[in-house]
Amino acid sequence: MTSRERVLAAIAHKEPDRVPVDMGATPSSGISAIAYSNLVKYLGRDDLPVQIYDVVQQLAQPDMSIIDRFGIDVLDIGRTFNTQPSDWHETVLANGDKAFYPVWFNPVLQPNGSYHCYDTDGKRLLAMMPKGATFFDQSYFPYVDGYPENYNGLDEEMGRVLWSRYVHSPWDHAADPGFWEQLRKNTLHLRETTDKALMIVCGCNLFEWGTFLRRMDNFLMDLLCEPDQVARVLDQLLERHLATLEKVCEAVGDIVDIIRFGDDLGMTTGPFMDPDTYKMLFKPRHKQLCDYVKSHSQMHTFIHSCGSISSLMPDLIDAGIEIFNPVQTNAVNMEPEFLKKEFGQDCTFWGGGVETVGTLNNGTPEQVREQVLQRLEIMSAGGGFIFNTVHNILPDVPPANIVAMFEAVKEFNGK
Amino acid sequence: MNDLIDKLGECVEFGKINQASPYPPTMKGMPGADELTKEALEAGFSPQMILNEALIPAMNRVGNKFTEGKIFVPQMLLSAKAMNSAMKHLKPYFQNGEIRRKGVFIIGTVQGDLHDIGKNLTGMMVEGAGWEVIDLGTDVSAEKYIQALDEHPGAVCGMSALLTTTMSNMQPMIAAIREKHPGTKVIVGGAPLNAEFARQIGADAYGRDPQDDINWLDSIVA
Ligand code: B12
Repeated sequence: MTSRERVLAAIAHKEPDRVPVDMGATPSSGISAIAYSNLVKYLGRDDLPVQIYDVVQQLAQPDMSIIDRFGIDVLDIGRTFNTQPSDWHETVLANGDKAFYPVWFNPVLQPNGSYHCYDTDGKRLLAMMPKGATFFDQSYFPYVDGYPENYNGLDEEMGRVLWSRYVHSPWDHAADPGFWEQLRKNTLHLRETTDKALMIVCGCNLFEWGTFLRRMDNFLMDLLCEPDQVARVLDQLLERHLATLEKVCEAVGDIVDIIRFGDDLGMTTGPFMDPDTYKMLFKPRHKQLCDYVKSHSQMHTFIHSCGSISSLMPDLIDAGIEIFNPVQTNAVNMEPEFLKKEFGQDCTFWGGGVETVGTLNNGTPEQVREQVLQRLEIMSAGGGFIFNTVHNILPDVPPANIVAMFEAVKEFNGK
Repeated sequence: MNDLIDKLGECVEFGKINQASPYPPTMKGMPGADELTKEALEAGFSPQMILNEALIPAMNRVGNKFTEGKIFVPQMLLSAKAMNSAMKHLKPYFQNGEIRRKGVFIIGTVQGDLHDIGKNLTGMMVEGAGWEVIDLGTDVSAEKYIQALDEHPGAVCGMSALLTTTMSNMQPMIAAIREKHPGTKVIVGGAPLNAEFARQIGADAYGRDPQDDINWLDSIVA
């Protein structure tokens, strides 16, 4: 089987020749710049540049040689942009290592060691990363004081939210003339030159955009106090997301295999909201996104949601979501056995392969191996599983454990 | 108990902030925590009694329901907001010493960490349990805790961390704080932590959720 056939077989719940693997195809199944820098040094490949393609989350784009070395089966089509050294400029990581930012990203170092990002007026603070932190935080919330009368200014305001302003590739090129043609061209070229499955990361976040616009605390209260306003803003967002999907489906819907949406609906103890609230406000809109993709492309639908979401999963599946990530198995009611038994027939798990809180960061390579083998045993039966860590590999993960993790996958696949 | 006090407690429990607020739908158009607190003061209830008999027990019920998974974060936030609208009327009595609080609780999210939803909820609930809460925000260094302790000697510290990469900052922070303020009591919380970790780093307690925190705080002042 080729990598692509393997991934597609798993999604179709046919047991593939071996369990497919991801690292780096999405910004929630990837590796942080510091962890990646440590990894390439450990592998004796410190000639490889550490390119921070997702600057907000400080994630590195793994080099093709690393992807091949670990037998990774899927690629983000965003990696076909910013391929020239001149697309990058040098920066320094919190651990002192050299790395690269896309040329358009120029945060300003403050006397206290933090980094700030300002709006074009040079005054409005949009995002900041405290000294020693490894993540840019949102500083500007457009509708923190209340909903606007009309949404004429929504596009502009969305553009001031860090997730949009400093978005990863390919979207950092979305405003370039001829972008959609270029995207198609690049994706076709990728399809011709690799046998890996292809992913497009296309947020379409609904709940999260509400929290970006209103701030988390306000938006959570709005769900109960102002459901009409929530519905109104969600419709505005949906309209924009559907317009994007139309272009995506047209440009690459016949080439790309998986489209990734995002919406963090869970915390450790349960979902952020009552399942009834999800059903009323979000489910119908998630369904519209999924329906559109299904009727206009060959792509499979994937959602990233952290936390304990098993109580929402029946509705998400019903809305048309086929693949779940990062499968936060350490959250309440998210035990791998339970998930596989309860939902294994109806969806694919993309993640949950090893705990990033505990085992991968603090365990020994042998403990990593044991957990990986155990998870593979539970999750891979009958397909429906793509091996990946629970969320991104953070700076605290030692490279020896990353290697042990991939070795264990190989061991399992070889048996 | 008294009808007015009961009603005020219900407003806080169910998140009815003031008359204008549309939630919960069953209380639409009725006076909320804001109006009822004012009314209770005018009717001659002592501020201490309003706090002890209405607000604290109501927030206690909210905390327990959250622990049991019967309510979600939005409901909890609304209850905290309703409580704040009541507290606004009690503020002068805190300042003139007529109401005594249980103590001062300094809370923050540790250095390098920006997650603040759980920390905020915990702070609000502890305030609702009758403590004065000083919220230092996110990405808080040991120095900031020390400064706050200089101003509020004997205060209890709460620390939140949501990341494996930042929970490791807690141990050195606690050590630095205790060097300047020996014997400072510290409780830690946040999704990736557990009681064993708290013990290892020398914290006095681990709080799984706000109610857990409040129960521990009550136990150390009892
Ligand atoms: C929302 C969220 C975010 C938001 C935060 C917004 C904000 N203003 O807080 C954003 C998008 C910014 C974010 C960013 C990141 N996040 Co995040 N995030 C979450 C998420 C989905 C929910 C957290 C939350 O708000 N929960 C709701 C509250 C109510 O719960 P809580 O915080 O646990 O608090 C409760 C208790 O723990 C307790 N408590 C909390 N604090 C305290 C303190 C005391 C004293 C006490 C007694 C009790 C207590 O009381 C609360 C109520 O019960 C979690 C998933 C999860 N399972 O938790 C991931 C999660 C925490 N994030 C994670 C990651 C990886 C990140 C990033 C590093 C992303 C990246 N680069 O890859 C960045 C780091 C940012 C930074 N430097 O801090 C991982 C951490 C994994 C790890 N290895 O540690 C998690 C676990 C997701 C996952 N699936 O793995 N995140």
